[in-house]
Amino acid sequence: MRSLLTLRTPRLRPSGRQRPHWWVRKEISRSAESGSGRVCCTPGRPLPSGLPPGTSPAPLFPGAELGAPLRLRTGVAQSARAGRGGAGGGGRPGPGPPPPPPPPPPPPHKGLVRRRCSGPLGAALPALLTVGPPPMDEERTDLELYLDQCFAQVGQAVSILKWKRRSFERGVNLHGGQPGVKPVAWGGVTPGPRLPLLSPVVPDDVYMPNSSNPKMVFNSHLEEVKETPGHFSSVDLSFLPDELTQENKDQSVIRSKHEIEENCKTQSQQSSLSLPREQDIGLGLIGSSSLLNSHSHLYPADADSVQPSLEKPNSMPLVSITPMTPMTPVSECSGIVPQLQNIVSTVNLACKLDLKKIALHAKNAEYNPKRFAAVIMRIREPRTTALIFSSGKMVCTGAKSEEQSRLAARKYARVVQKLGFPARFLDFKIQNMVGSCDVRFAISLEGLVLTHQQFSSYEPELFPGLIYRMVKPRIVLLIFVSGKVVLTGAKERSEIYEAFENIYPILKGFKKA
Amino acid sequence: MPGGGRCPDCGSAELVDDSHYSQSQLVCSDCGCVVTEGVLTTTFSDEGNLREVTYSRSTGENEQVSRSQQRGLRRVRDLCRVLQLPSTFEDTAVAYYQQAYRHSGIRAARLQKKEVLVGCCVLITCRQHNWPLTMGTICALLYADLEVFSGTYMQIVKLLGLDVPSLCLADLVKTYCSSFKLFQASPSVPAKYVEDKEKMLSRTLQLVELADETWLVTGRHPLPVITAATFLAWQSLQPSERLTCSLARFCKLANVDLPCPASSRLQELLAVLLRMAEQLAWLQVLRLDKRSVVKHIGDLLQHRHTLVRKAFRDGTAELEAGEKQQQGWGKSPGQGKEEAATSSLDRPEGKRPASPALLLPPCMLKPPKRICPPPPISTVTGDEDISDSEIEQYLRTPQEVRDFQKAQAARQAAIGVSNPP
Repeated sequence: MRSLLTLRTPRLRPSGRQRPHWWVRKEISRSAESGSGRVCCTPGRPLPSGLPPGTSPAPLFPGAELGAPLRLRTGVAQSARAGRGGAGGGGRPGPGPPPPPPPPPPPPHKGLVRRRCSGPLGAALPALLTVGPPPMDEERTDLELYLDQCFAQVGQAVSILKWKRRSFERGVNLHGGQPGVKPVAWGGVTPGPRLPLLSPVVPDDVYMPNSSNPKMVFNSHLEEVKETPGHFSSVDLSFLPDELTQENKDQSVIRSKHEIEENCKTQSQQSSLSLPREQDIGLGLIGSSSLLNSHSHLYPADADSVQPSLEKPNSMPLVSITPMTPMTPVSECSGIVPQLQNIVSTVNLACKLDLKKIALHAKNAEYNPKRFAAVIMRIREPRTTALIFSSGKMVCTGAKSEEQSRLAARKYARVVQKLGFPARFLDFKIQNMVGSCDVRFAISLEGLVLTHQQFSSYEPELFPGLIYRMVKPRIVLLIFVSGKVVLTGAKERSEIYEAFENIYPILKGFKKA
Repeated sequence: MPGGGRCPDCGSAELVDDSHYSQSQLVCSDCGCVVTEGVLTTTFSDEGNLREVTYSRSTGENEQVSRSQQRGLRRVRDLCRVLQLPSTFEDTAVAYYQQAYRHSGIRAARLQKKEVLVGCCVLITCRQHNWPLTMGTICALLYADLEVFSGTYMQIVKLLGLDVPSLCLADLVKTYCSSFKLFQASPSVPAKYVEDKEKMLSRTLQLVELADETWLVTGRHPLPVITAATFLAWQSLQPSERLTCSLARFCKLANVDLPCPASSRLQELLAVLLRMAEQLAWLQVLRLDKRSVVKHIGDLLQHRHTLVRKAFRDGTAELEAGEKQQQGWGKSPGQGKEEAATSSLDRPEGKRPASPALLLPPCMLKPPKRICPPPPISTVTGDEDISDSEIEQYLRTPQEVRDFQKAQAARQAAIGVSNPP
């Protein structure tokens, strides 16, 4: 056991770490739960040397706290640190507690177990406890404590998400009220009073730059959450960002789609076809190509079908489960659907080609090796152009939809086949999609570049439009003063629609000069 | 060291390029064995083949300022001096150039791009200090193409992650107007054309503000607008003598280049002024046209805020009323909305000939060049069968192939014949 005298060296900052690390907290939690927590309940302020070091600031922190066991902080002067720790204990949501006045002299001890301290918090949420970083001054300590709490809550949020995802994978119905479902991360603490804390913790990428929709839905969900404090399973966490990685998102999308489909069959409220469709539209058009193939022909008719089908979200409680983009209320929809203008795709024909022979035997081919090392071939239906390279790779441009692009690519492959090459059709991939639409009002580009400087680039000396690089989804928009918007850089149709829905409220804000 | 050099003694791959006094040596960091010394080129063994590493692939270029970078830095300083920029700008621009040069894409770029980069760094510095410098000026000084300049500029802004504020229009007006040689009489400038600088500046500023308010500046190059505004300001200060002078002649007098779009900006500005004049009672009776309105520019500018609101107010209000009506009827496709709005506006247009116009950018006021029909809803699945006949139409028959080859050979022969003499 270390000498506790080192605790009382005032204001000695440790050499390295200033913030407690996760593994330290785990240690604390483990020791806390085991109840054998070695207490280093030193006061916040440096004690006069006469006082024994084991004084507990417990009277000031009603929930008591567990200080960091000394053995975890070897070689580090703990002076005014440890006593501050545990200030976050007991689920205090607010900013760090006020600095404690000097505690009354406790009975002398030799660093033995302080049952009093550890008792009420034996089952307390361990992650919330902080060790109390060494302060420069009092304010910093409080701030550090508060930040530590927030840090902990981020961890909670992440673990909630993980739990949610795992629940989906297990097919758990959140709203079904299964009694036995208890999230592992919570550790038995009721979520009620702590949930509002999640709001400051949502990471920045959720707040899409200046898009009001997610925020609005977020707030409405938050209110909903506050109304039902006790019952965890009724908490709707769909507003939390889809931090899942891309492939997980796709998997969970497909899984959730299947879930919803099978649920709607049992519920039989609407035709089973319309529910996935409204799901797709209302939830920002989750874009798996499998969905697209079956529903592509429904998209042009979107504008009318969106509004009535979204009228009653309450009748579809399952709608809010999906963790993807939050459902936008009807009044927020712009009612404008961007038209796809161009699709660029690539395919591998997997055989070496003789470009001279192709140019000789094909009527619709042009080949000028001095200018460009590929054959430029065109077909009339669908009206597209292809660049065919001697390695067997091909680029197909000009189609107006994904299916047309695929059909056109197949036709080019067939032409190459007929010319005598063993062409195959491998790795067809859509590389870029371009869409355009018209918002029908004039946009003040100078105002837009002032408020969205980090995303916009407007150089009237070079180009009359404003180039807006949206982060999520990763799309580039060209915005013109006449209200025409061009969206490009998408790999999926849903990205274009989502980007437009994100930009429309921003543009509406700049309607009048 | 790059590559797979191994120490012959201990076989470790940890070779360090150290120099013993002035001799460069390749030393094994484990056993201290000197592998090579005095080597002028760096080598690495690649499956037994010793190959030289080019300078660009070695680390040499990170350790010293290369000659082209030195030249570039010198040019940055020279450009700042030519433009008579404050000395702090010079240091900032030099820092940007050095920062840019750290990126490999810039280091490996062509000389032309590096020249243009000099201008980009100076431009960014000026923009950040709100010093009005146009790209045209820099391109003229560097003898650079605007396309190359724009490409390099956009690339460097993205690469360095810079926040470049927009060109400050008011400052640009001041500097540009001051460059007009009209403030003193000279052999080329008759006395009646000489004008007071302050008056002209203030009036030009007001006209440019008016253009900004009426959507004539957004999306357009700022300089032609300022040229047109300067011309109108100059004319309106002594209209009796200056109405006969054209825009081209004015620019020649003032020793300033006439940008191409300036004449259309002039027409647009005059159209706006005419609309405003219709709202002034004592000007309505005069039935002004584009020439006579110049005489009254002073009055119009004096009341420009109210006039703009009046001249164009009802247009936007009508549009709003039309929209509200549409919303009351429930959601409808965008086309229906537009039709209703325009129809509601057409009626007052017919009744009152001098009705307020819509305050919109000129590109929205002009009729669309061609109406794009909405694309037909195609039910293509992408997996349909492709008929042989469809593919056959794109292939040449053997006879056609022979004809084509003959024609090509004939063409080649013709070119061969014509070339040698």
